[in-house]
Amino acid sequence: MRKAWVIAQNTFHEALRKKTMYMLLVFALLIIGASRFFSFLTAEEEMKMIKDVSFYGIEFCGALIAIFGALGAVSGEIDRRTIYTLLSKPITRTNFIVGKFMGQVLILLVNYLIICAFFIGLLLIKKSVPNVDVFKTLLLIFVELMLISSITLAIATFASDAFNIIFSFFLYITGHLISYGRQMLDRLENVVLKGLGDMLYTLVPNYENFNIRDKVVVGVSVSWSYVVKTLGYGVIYIVIAMLIAVYFFQKREV
Amino acid sequence: MALIETRELTKIYELGRKRTVVGLDKVSLQIEEGEIFGILGPNGSGKTTCLKLLLGVLFPTSGESFIMGKTPYDVEMKQHVGFLPENPYYYDYLTGPELLRFYARLFGIDPKVIPAKIEELLNLVSLWDARRLALRNYSKGMLERIGLAAALVNDPKILIFDEPTTGLDPIGCKETRNLLIELNKKGKTILLSSHFLSEVERVCSRIAIFHRGHLTKVGPMQGLMATYQAENLEDLFVKVIEEFDRNNPA
Repeated sequence: MRKAWVIAQNTFHEALRKKTMYMLLVFALLIIGASRFFSFLTAEEEMKMIKDVSFYGIEFCGALIAIFGALGAVSGEIDRRTIYTLLSKPITRTNFIVGKFMGQVLILLVNYLIICAFFIGLLLIKKSVPNVDVFKTLLLIFVELMLISSITLAIATFASDAFNIIFSFFLYITGHLISYGRQMLDRLENVVLKGLGDMLYTLVPNYENFNIRDKVVVGVSVSWSYVVKTLGYGVIYIVIAMLIAVYFFQKREV
Repeated sequence: MALIETRELTKIYELGRKRTVVGLDKVSLQIEEGEIFGILGPNGSGKTTCLKLLLGVLFPTSGESFIMGKTPYDVEMKQHVGFLPENPYYYDYLTGPELLRFYARLFGIDPKVIPAKIEELLNLVSLWDARRLALRNYSKGMLERIGLAAALVNDPKILIFDEPTTGLDPIGCKETRNLLIELNKKGKTILLSSHFLSEVERVCSRIAIFHRGHLTKVGPMQGLMATYQAENLEDLFVKVIEEFDRNNPA
């Protein structure tokens, strides 16, 4: 783990020097800041709008940071040929993948904390003290982003960047629509299609599980047991994604 | 068992559409402890492929290789190996000391001794004055020298150098050559792949000549030169390659 941590720190330092991350961070802050322009609404409606737009902005920009951050994590090292010197050192390929993921989580965490601090600051300016449900929402979004990052990293171990970016975004959209797809599936009579649909439903992570903002925005509380179950769901998928990443990278010629 | 050994090591590259290229064909080599062993060959002859297979960067199609009796994927073995790749590429946003610190931490070197080690290595390769410069601002020669420093950060028993004098001026070449001899006197085994035959001739005791993925000749340099009645290593090299091409038309 110590060696994975060394790689994680190097990955994080590399990201600090990349302008892409700063652009996405600024974009997220702009979206949150823009939600202030709903002052023509009533105070209650304005607060709902600020929370809704901000949660959406945090999640969407966070997903962009997660995907673009993980996208070049493996291919970047191979294209730059820094992988040759790295693999000649006393590290395993598992160390490398785990270290890269830890680095991506660090990148996400720092960006996320800045964005969340801005959002909380905005709420406080509007004299609205965030309740525990706001923090539950932010926590679940963060785990969703870690999951997106782990899947993009896993795909990066065996596919090109072009395929990865398309597939990662496809999975992001599908993961959010899969609950609706499930309802349509139940109405299907074709056994083959229903079977394929069932398989897809099982394999594709349901990102909507992490989305509790619709409830929190209207003041409905979400239980801690739901949060813990969803965190567990996310962790299981992350572990599966990491196992896939390690498996493919062990076999990859660099 | 020799310190570095390959047994019928073969690598066939698949280029897609059922096209293949033989990178290495049944190469069996033994390199003993304390040698400076040179690997020569034209471009594309399999030298770098052989080194990458030894280090586990590539996977062989068949055959085996061992360093210190361990497979290329053994982490413990790599604690004792220093590698300088051809045209070294590093994280260009790092400075020289940052790069060396990164590698030193991967080797598990005590953090307390790392600063002194970095200073020693940078002075050894004459890069101490450039310590605040990011690697993206390094010249080609400077990149080779920081690569050399990086290969020595763990005080390895075995050094594997792929074209270590590429991009170096004549003074740099001489300094590198002297460094290799000095390191060998300290008991380090050096496996050196190079196009610069004059450099190989001055430092290596035994050599292997590769051509089109095949190990054409291996043995003591002086012995091979005597066998082929070659005036110098360049003469030997040309004669061996021409003989192989005559006997194995492409």
